[in-house]
Amino acid sequence: MVRFENVGKRYGHGPEVLRDLTFRLTPGSFHFLTGPSGAGKTTLLKLMYLAQRPSRGEIEMFGQDIGKTRRRDLPPFRRRIGVVFQDFRLLDHLTALENVALPLRIAGARRERIEAHVSELLAWVGLAGQINARPPTLSDGEKQRVAIARAVIGRPNLLLADEPTGNIDLAQGLRILHLFEELNKIGTTVVIATHDRSLISTFGRPELRLGNGELTVHKAPSVIVDEDPGGDAADADDGRSA
Amino acid sequence: MTPRRAELPLGGDATRRFIPLIVGAMVYLAALALAGTFALDGTVQQWSDSLRGALTVQLPGVAQDPEGEEAKARIDAAVGLLLETTGVLSASALPYAQSQALLEPWLGAGDLPADLPIPIIVDVSVDTGARINYEDLGQRLEEVVPGARINDNGVFLSRLVTLARAVQLVGLVVVFIVAVAAVSIVVFATRAGMTSHRDTIELLHLIGARDNYIARRFVTHALSYGLAGGLLGLALAVVTLAALALAARGVDQTLLPRLSLDLTAWVALLCVPIASALIAMITARVTVLRALRRLP
Repeated sequence: MVRFENVGKRYGHGPEVLRDLTFRLTPGSFHFLTGPSGAGKTTLLKLMYLAQRPSRGEIEMFGQDIGKTRRRDLPPFRRRIGVVFQDFRLLDHLTALENVALPLRIAGARRERIEAHVSELLAWVGLAGQINARPPTLSDGEKQRVAIARAVIGRPNLLLADEPTGNIDLAQGLRILHLFEELNKIGTTVVIATHDRSLISTFGRPELRLGNGELTVHKAPSVIVDEDPGGDAADADDGRSA
Repeated sequence: MTPRRAELPLGGDATRRFIPLIVGAMVYLAALALAGTFALDGTVQQWSDSLRGALTVQLPGVAQDPEGEEAKARIDAAVGLLLETTGVLSASALPYAQSQALLEPWLGAGDLPADLPIPIIVDVSVDTGARINYEDLGQRLEEVVPGARINDNGVFLSRLVTLARAVQLVGLVVVFIVAVAAVSIVVFATRAGMTSHRDTIELLHLIGARDNYIARRFVTHALSYGLAGGLLGLALAVVTLAALALAARGVDQTLLPRLSLDLTAWVALLCVPIASALIAMITARVTVLRALRRLP
């Protein structure tokens, strides 16, 4: 699904934000991505959702070496990735429904199908009454739920979320995480960047921990460790990046 | 079902208000320049048709008896010599009354003073393929009728046509400059649109929109203002041309060449707004696609 091999990333002539990342996410896995602020979580996610290219190393997504993939062939890969951005990135001139519908519109889905699916999903995230509301009129929590709905509407193979529960209460956060779990059960690989230790312990999923630009993989602290490499555990060299 | 709203709200941009006006002004200038070029083309053709294969010989007039024996002798001598010349198809003197009429715009109507020697004009048609030595012919005419002079219409014509073609070239250069200016304006407007919607464009790109998908939004926008501005400019140009045509009615036609537009010219004018829309679309597309290449 996702394979990083000695990946490094630096901005301009600055120091490397990420160094020698080597790990592999198997299909259907579920991980939390943690680390202190500035550790490079967002940069790692950007590399995974193809918003940036690595300074060095090799990234393989869905079995394809991204470095060798032509730029014009990347959009189909991006459509297989759902992203919940930390700053939501909703379009203020569109309604909640239209914002959520964007991935389907871009994929060329029929309008009737779009409206039915989007309405259903918005109802599921508790925004049935705000289908026609525009982002400036929504609270941060509501915006976040719209952003989450937009990320999952296309049933992505890989779901990346950057602090998806940062602006919502615990109950809503758990509800959203359960939605991610449901998607994970039907095969979506999930990576959630978060600082929320309670969520990590509640859901007991393995952790990709970033620190000093390097990545280590930690088994879920309060759950039985699944040694099956096809399971939830990320495959890294001795549980540690090279 | 709710109406589908554009992901990129380009219609609300500040450029939306003034770009059609600028495009309209450019199309107006281009249409007038093009109309002038076409009108002149018709006139040049008229000049060429009327003067090709023709020349005039001017003989000194006889003051007191313009239609008497002396005048007749001069005409016979000159016409006789001309008709003997190889390449001359016909030669005949204009009647005195007609010569008088030609002078009317300058000397006015009515009886001319009897002592005014009005030149005798001999209208000569020549074979356009013949090589006539006009210098030699002029000398021989001088010998039989002292003071006879050939008006070489060919020289006059070529100078006139050269001038007219130069004016036409200027007209086409104006059209070209206007097109270049239009391209610059569209590039500016498109870049401004891309800058103000950078976040939206980046989002669309990240969720899988192809470059063509994004470019189409700008192309559609450019088509709308290119066509709107083009039609506005053309409408103003047609009104201006109509006003000029109306004003030209009162002018003596002998002083001005007849300026008129044929069907080809009108079709060309109608193509100007279409061209402006096409230029806007193509420019917008190229600009957007080039800019999008900077995204990963």
